[in-house]
Amino acid sequence: MSLAGYLLRRLVHGAALMLGVALLSFTLMVQFGPDQTFELLGKNPTTEDIETVRENLGYDRPFLMRFGDWLSHTLRGDFGVSAANGEPVGPLLGRAFPITLALVLPGFLIGNVLGLLLGMLAAWHRGGAWDRLVLGGSVAGLSLSFLVIIIVLQLLLCTPYGLNLFPTRGWRVDGLGSYFYYVTVPTLALITVSLGYNTRFYRAVILEELGREHIRTARAFGAGGGELLFTHALRNAAVPVLTRLLYSIPLVLVSGSLLIETYFGIPGVGKIAFDAITSGDQAVLLAIVVLTAALFVAVQLLADAGSRLADPRLGSS
Amino acid sequence: MKPASTLTLALAVLSLLLFTACSEAPEDDGPAPVTYVHSMDGAPKSLDPARASSIYGKTLVLNLYDTLYRYRYLARPYALAPNLAAALPEFSEDGLTLTIRLKEGVRFVDDPAFPDGVGREVVASDVVYSLLRHFDPETQSQGAWLWRERIEGLEEWKAAGADYDAPPPGLRALDEHTLQLRLTQPYPQIVYTLTQGYAAVLPREAVAYHGEGLGTHAVGSGPFRLISVDRTRAVLERNSAFRQEPVSLAAEGFDPAFDEGLGLERIEGRAPPFLDRLEVEFIREDAARWNAFFAGETEFLKLPVAQFDRVLESRDPVRLQPNMAERFHVQAAPEAGFVYTSFNMDDPAIGDHPDPDQDERNRALRCAIVKAFDWPTRNQQFSGGLGRVFPGVIPPVVPEFNPDLDPTSITHDLEGAQALLTEYGWNAENLPVLKWGFPSSVTDRQLFELFRGYMVTLGFPAEKVQPLVYASFGDFLRAFTNREVMLVTTGWTLDYPDAENTLQLFYGRNASPGANNGNFDDEEFNRLYREAAVLEPSPERTALFQAMNQRVLDECAAISGLNRRLLLLWSRELAMQPDRAFVGGYFFRFIDRLTPEVP
Amino acid sequence: MRSDAVQQLWRSRGWRFGLGLGLMLAAIALAVGFGWLGPDGSVGGPQWQGASAAHWFGTNRLGQDIFDRALAGTATAFRVGGLVTAGALVLGALLGAAAGWRTGSLLDEVMLYLMGVLDSVPIYLLAAALAFALGGGELAVITAMTLSFWTATARLIRGEVARLRTREFVLSAQAIGLPAPLIVGRHLLPNAAHILLVQGALTFVAAIKTEVILSFLGIGTLENVSWGLMLAESTQDLLAGHFGNFAAASLLLFLLLLALNLMTDALQDAFDLRETAA
Repeated sequence: MSLAGYLLRRLVHGAALMLGVALLSFTLMVQFGPDQTFELLGKNPTTEDIETVRENLGYDRPFLMRFGDWLSHTLRGDFGVSAANGEPVGPLLGRAFPITLALVLPGFLIGNVLGLLLGMLAAWHRGGAWDRLVLGGSVAGLSLSFLVIIIVLQLLLCTPYGLNLFPTRGWRVDGLGSYFYYVTVPTLALITVSLGYNTRFYRAVILEELGREHIRTARAFGAGGGELLFTHALRNAAVPVLTRLLYSIPLVLVSGSLLIETYFGIPGVGKIAFDAITSGDQAVLLAIVVLTAALFVAVQLLADAGSRLADPRLGSS
Repeated sequence: MKPASTLTLALAVLSLLLFTACSEAPEDDGPAPVTYVHSMDGAPKSLDPARASSIYGKTLVLNLYDTLYRYRYLARPYALAPNLAAALPEFSEDGLTLTIRLKEGVRFVDDPAFPDGVGREVVASDVVYSLLRHFDPETQSQGAWLWRERIEGLEEWKAAGADYDAPPPGLRALDEHTLQLRLTQPYPQIVYTLTQGYAAVLPREAVAYHGEGLGTHAVGSGPFRLISVDRTRAVLERNSAFRQEPVSLAAEGFDPAFDEGLGLERIEGRAPPFLDRLEVEFIREDAARWNAFFAGETEFLKLPVAQFDRVLESRDPVRLQPNMAERFHVQAAPEAGFVYTSFNMDDPAIGDHPDPDQDERNRALRCAIVKAFDWPTRNQQFSGGLGRVFPGVIPPVVPEFNPDLDPTSITHDLEGAQALLTEYGWNAENLPVLKWGFPSSVTDRQLFELFRGYMVTLGFPAEKVQPLVYASFGDFLRAFTNREVMLVTTGWTLDYPDAENTLQLFYGRNASPGANNGNFDDEEFNRLYREAAVLEPSPERTALFQAMNQRVLDECAAISGLNRRLLLLWSRELAMQPDRAFVGGYFFRFIDRLTPEVP
Repeated sequence: MRSDAVQQLWRSRGWRFGLGLGLMLAAIALAVGFGWLGPDGSVGGPQWQGASAAHWFGTNRLGQDIFDRALAGTATAFRVGGLVTAGALVLGALLGAAAGWRTGSLLDEVMLYLMGVLDSVPIYLLAAALAFALGGGELAVITAMTLSFWTATARLIRGEVARLRTREFVLSAQAIGLPAPLIVGRHLLPNAAHILLVQGALTFVAAIKTEVILSFLGIGTLENVSWGLMLAESTQDLLAGHFGNFAAASLLLFLLLLALNLMTDALQDAFDLRETAA
């Protein structure tokens, strides 16, 4: 099958997947989700008021009709309005997304680069002192809860109990200086929480490559470590590495930002998702879930296309 | 791809993002704007006056919009002053007709909702529109209950299709600057209701143009105008067209004993607002709110209870530690409300019972629970010992409060409680399972543990005191509105300084879905309530209120109550006297800086 | 399970240390379960006491002993982690094996689709939505995590069963007419036991970590004491300078996660299982 045909098939799969995600999340979040009625009512509501609000919220309509309505709006790019303040969901997320991206990107990049370097160090000295140190450190890192990391870093860097160098919360970025001011502590937290996983992954990948015949030969003939690691091992490991990087993007963007943004009061996608979870703001939550799923499908497509380009043999299956 | 090129690409993307993320334009040249950064412990859900139900919403709405009346800045007890209205209303002989004159020349801020984008004058029909809007099914108002069945013809107007061009007879603009209200029966609290965010005046054009967008836009005539609002902060700037009304501190109720030393004198004779820019940070987490304040990122703080010990040198009188006092002012402000737990009287296991004997045993059980509840400890642990525990349901913030009421119901009396249980034949086997409902939160859960601890000491087996956890506050609301929760713990925030506002919490007609969430329905109480509701404040009315309070106490209908005290801290660079009672931040217009900030 | 692998496992210091630590914590959890350890529910002692011989980590806002509560949290961690792990493993093994037995069949396609859908929703959002839908509380959280976590195991078991499916012993078992469920249960799953073991440990870790986050977000366990709840409480205590809740909960949490991670590591080494994919 040609690449184009294959991609088309994957696209259809992706669409089916997203329909499933939409149905699942709509069922959970709308049909069985938190009831907004009583938060929208005043202090002494009458039964009639309750009915009116329920009608306005569409609670009295059959499930399939509500789902169909929502789906047709979503397909036309209309995600509805936030129940919290009546703001259209599209612009709301449009404003939040760049913030989240700017927030998590440095941590994501540095976490991976550091993990790669440490992984190489450990792999090169397999079984040696460096390897044991790196592995031990990464196990300790894996055993730390994200929440604990955030609390400790904030305490140490942002409060009078510690160095008090950075802001405890907020996001008022209007230049490079303020960007570093606000992004540093969240970045450190993201690096800390991901470093253990990243290091172990890169160590395993590099070890596999170092075990290959041609590299072992080159090493025996005295080829430099830097050249071997960066040129040969890394190039050959490009497919699993890029695949993993791609796959982690949707998770980092939503799950990673949820806690960070909530704790640091940053108005990104994660904070909006959190507020929507706790208040039952269904339109917002659904948009986030569906967009994440779309990102996921896109990432899968990209990863697939990428590995096919890198390895044409896969095309024949 | 080589790692180096990946990195370059990533950096390029990053720098691109940086520049797209910068949304705020640099300030213009000129004198540094006078800025004040306020903090609140929550975010408003909506800036639409019809949904100004939370203290957070009210705080912003009252600064963006005008109301007919307001409270005087410094007067305690609270006193009314005209705001958009030219004077207090003229009442007819029978008290049923109010005539209100509006100030002339007040303008809405410029907004694309108006033709040419220029704000027009505020007229009486805008007030009519703004109040009628609550009764339009399209609006989804949260404030309609304040005027429901009170104003002549409102219900008919709604039933006839909510046509704004045919206002009901009870709510009419006599001319451009005169408004007339006709009440169905005397409503002594009517002027209070006109100070609230719900009563804010907005133009019909704004609703037509912005629709649902009014949650994040504001087209008002208040002292400030909205620049931006999101989930974490709102930015307001001076409404340069705000009417010039020089302040008279004496008229605002300046009391040297309370208001001296705050620098308030500097605003005498000057016209508010004094701030060019007002930023309000919404910081829900206590730790973050404190840290931001202490670091100087915000200039006002409602101090988290956990911090009381670290900040205060003495509690009575409230005094800051010397190093804190150098930087901050403090005020211990009684909150306009109280927390209490009501028994669901609809539940035959704890409330009313058709069998008179069982009914009597249930009452004894409720009274035993009330006696076993240790309010002083509760106050110590959750309100830093600064709250005021009071018997019954008339809290200390209203003029009808009786400080000499018998304190038995708030005295921790374990022996008495146990004796009561024994006398009425209650024991570990036949005691009912108590279900304490709460929405999922750390503090609410701790309150449950506290209650369970008290009940275990009273003699309940631990497994007979059960939590009913709800995932969201809305679900909790739904559950007790559907009468599914045996013990409902809530806080009531008063709408105005009048005990009628708390006593209606026990009026039979207000049972669920109304605010009477314990569904207390006592004939004697109901009769007294109806009698008192139409009376102007007077000693006879106060006597009726006291009798109603006594009914609640005698029936042990609630574990009540605690009037918390908030510690408000603010920077010494500011001249202000903050207050968050009843309507919230209407004092912003009076805030001034002592030393204009140098950027 | 290969005996050389088992031998290698026991030679690993990480395994021995991790197992020892894990068993110790399990013993604490059991003791709490039997009521020998942990809080008695009483309140009203002096609040915010510092560390002392009587209260190793001081007392909390309600005057309860913090260390007692942290110990009780161990039981919650084992209960939540254990139930989620058991549920996810059973679901994952059964559904994964069913799919892997006939790859490409309708059942397989349906399973793959279902897993794809579940995996495309970020875990906190899925768990939160499920927890809300089920009304909150511990049972809801356990169900939510089980339904989110089983797919990882199912994918691996599906792959392993599909791989073993064409082996000699399976084909001959089929030839003598043994029914498929029997073959899978008797022969295939035991051969995939090492995968289940490693997945079990990984799921346990994920469940405990997720419970902490969900508790902080306000949708975790509320009926019982959990470390997540203590950490959530501690974010309020910290600013008042009370570190007891935070120290006790994060210490025990770290120890349990460390024990599990060390064991996982040793298992992966011994059975030569390393996830090089995402």
